[in-house]
Amino acid sequence: MSETSENHVSMRTRLPSFIRRADPAVLTAFGCILLLLFLGSLYSSNFLSPDYLLQQLKVASFLGVVAAGMMVVILLGHIDLSVPWVMTAGAMMACAVAGFGNTGSVAAIPVGILCGVAFGLLNGIGVAYLRIPSMIVTLASNVVAQGLMVVYTGGFSPQDSAPPAVRWLATGAVVPGLPNAILVWLAISAAMVFLLTRTAFGRAVYGIGNSERAAFLSGVATRSVVMIAFVVSGALSAFGGVLLAGYASKAAQAMGDAYLLPSIAAVVLGGTSILGGRGSYLGTVAGVILITLLQSILSVMQMPEAGRQIVYGVVIIAMLLLYGRAPPNR
Amino acid sequence: MTPAETPPPLFRMEGVSKRYGGVRALEKAQLEVAPGRIHAILGENGAGKSTLIKIMAGVVAPDEGRILLDGQEVTFRSPAEAAAAGIACVFQELSLIPDLSVADNIVLSNPPRRFGMIDRGAQRALAEEALARAGAEDIHPRAAVKDLPLSRRQMVEIAKALASKPRALILDEATSALTAADVAKVFAVLKRLREEGLALLYISHRMHEIAELADTCTVFRNGRNVATFTAGSRSNSEIIEMMIGREYSNVFPPRQPVAKPAKAPVLECRNLGWTDRLREISFSVGEGEVVGLGGLEGQGQRLLLLALFGVLRGTTGSVLVDGSPVTISGPAVARKPPLAMALIPEDRKTEGLMLPMTVRENLSFAALDRVSRGGVIDRTKEEQLIDDMVRLLEIKTAGLDIPVGTLSGGNQQKVVIAKWLMRKPRIILLNDPTRGIDVGTKQELYQLLRRLAQAGAAIVFYSTDYDELIGCCDRVLVLYDGRVVRELEGDTISERALIASALNVEAGQEGSAI
Repeated sequence: MSETSENHVSMRTRLPSFIRRADPAVLTAFGCILLLLFLGSLYSSNFLSPDYLLQQLKVASFLGVVAAGMMVVILLGHIDLSVPWVMTAGAMMACAVAGFGNTGSVAAIPVGILCGVAFGLLNGIGVAYLRIPSMIVTLASNVVAQGLMVVYTGGFSPQDSAPPAVRWLATGAVVPGLPNAILVWLAISAAMVFLLTRTAFGRAVYGIGNSERAAFLSGVATRSVVMIAFVVSGALSAFGGVLLAGYASKAAQAMGDAYLLPSIAAVVLGGTSILGGRGSYLGTVAGVILITLLQSILSVMQMPEAGRQIVYGVVIIAMLLLYGRAPPNR
Repeated sequence: MTPAETPPPLFRMEGVSKRYGGVRALEKAQLEVAPGRIHAILGENGAGKSTLIKIMAGVVAPDEGRILLDGQEVTFRSPAEAAAAGIACVFQELSLIPDLSVADNIVLSNPPRRFGMIDRGAQRALAEEALARAGAEDIHPRAAVKDLPLSRRQMVEIAKALASKPRALILDEATSALTAADVAKVFAVLKRLREEGLALLYISHRMHEIAELADTCTVFRNGRNVATFTAGSRSNSEIIEMMIGREYSNVFPPRQPVAKPAKAPVLECRNLGWTDRLREISFSVGEGEVVGLGGLEGQGQRLLLLALFGVLRGTTGSVLVDGSPVTISGPAVARKPPLAMALIPEDRKTEGLMLPMTVRENLSFAALDRVSRGGVIDRTKEEQLIDDMVRLLEIKTAGLDIPVGTLSGGNQQKVVIAKWLMRKPRIILLNDPTRGIDVGTKQELYQLLRRLAQAGAAIVFYSTDYDELIGCCDRVLVLYDGRVVRELEGDTISERALIASALNVEAGQEGSAI
């Protein structure tokens, strides 16, 4: 094993330093983005217009916020399947609170996020303390969230519309021409990079993802780290839902359903190991943009829905085959 | 048949060698196993016994040498091929699936089929027959294995091995989980199987069992078979003599006389217990003292270290640090002052390190709370501590940002030790830290241990290498079956004394010849 890894190292030292430092998966993801844009531009020159690109980034920012939380959980070697209805719950609760006049309007965003925190706590306690597999716990809490929202709305579309603050956050522009949603995504991204690379929590996340046993024996409070990660994921899912409600002006049933697979795919396409322990946040950003562009190009090409789904699925599988698997020397 | 005349061998190994990396496990080993005989294999830890069995059972392939069955050369590419050739194994670690029934387990590898489906009637009949042959008719074939006590499970294990109608049966520590009554039963079964003409290979550390059962004994040492003799022709003490006899290849730093401390010992255990695996363990470690844990593998040494580090739940008895009782609820508590403990775990690849992570990240992983403020890592401070450690332990690495998995075994182990020394621990627990590392690094570690002790640390050092215990430790506790059976001090720590107490026999005792 040592021989092959030495060869590997010496081969990599010949590359320029900025490429050497970057994860090959991240480079591939960015390469694919360029390729998609190129293919799109062959179809129509609009694909390279600043308007189109900004619009794509804005759409990507909702997925980006959700995928940021998902990444922390995946780095631990777990998964959060409660994304769809935690998003919806966050959005609906934020809109509902807004119905209570001015105070409600102010409280809308925090309440939406708190909703996600609550579901994150539920997931975290289940996984970290009760040792239930994350796939089961989060799937169950997704259904619980769904049930609660159906009870709340009576099964109909909720009447409350998104408060102005929420709409401004999603569609307004502090910097002219740059939608706020993109700024929000940027801010969250900066926070994530800091969290994952500069804090003891971030190190612990990678450590647990690689070997929970080694992390535990090193004296890391593994259970609280796992719980906090699920809380972060829940909070960011709900926040993504709130932003989406602002974008669409209101919350709707099943509005988060389209975000589960893309958020996982974005993280994994960005080079994060689905088994945990490896991956950089930059890769997740690339994965989010890649998936958003793919969806957009397929719909612009007016491919029928069924064909779009098939192409979308096949592309994801192909990319995972390409580089999403763990290297053999793990 | 008289014991003196040996029938032609059923199974024969000629010049079989096996290396794992740089470690040679077997070196030109010879072995003949005859039908209708019970052949005992003896040897201390790492003598090559388990590798020998694994080769016979087709689990590992030998690097060189020939294996002959009935005089025909054979190659086993898998355990299934060995089983087809008539070789069955009863392992020490149980290989049963707890949620399946006894009958399911017994016919697991080759269930009787009818029209492609499992023939449950035939399965039950087969299981009943196998259980009867193993002398365990009292076990119901439909009982779930998980509901059986450990000793009954071991009987099922034996029945499972017999179900394949083997010609050679290997028993590796098969009686260690059994009660005395069951042992007697198993012995009766084994003797009957011998009458039936099976070749039996029996590995045990219990000398009296071998004395009772074996026809022939072979002693292994350092991967070689050093002697084969008829059972009963050698005394215990002669056998122990054969098991020793390694050259001292390591240089140990001189022991410093430890002044009898006036204050309370740094670490003290009183009647420490955990389930039935650790029993009434009491000892103390003073400042500057290196206390070794000896004995055969799996006698509770590893569990004792885990218990001290707070990993095991439900321990009984008490642990005192500096004379006051402490509750150690987990590594997170153990590593912090006032305990300031460190555990160098058994398996550095899964327990000590995160192999894909960088050398830097691994080094500071256990000390992140010391190099960060408010959860944010102070990179300058981290860098400085890491540099100190790399220099102190002379860790050879091409850089701090390469995966730790690319380092050599010895340097990986240094990283594990460095990551704990960064916390300046007062109590250092080491679980076989020199396993699989080169001689040079070993010697550096011995020096380091002594320096740490002189600087006031209390060290508990488990090693499977007797030389290390003799060379490094001020005192050695020998464990057997979860108990401290002997405490050796100073010049009384000798290989002979260690092996004798590890086997739980008196070295000087000549009477119970086997």
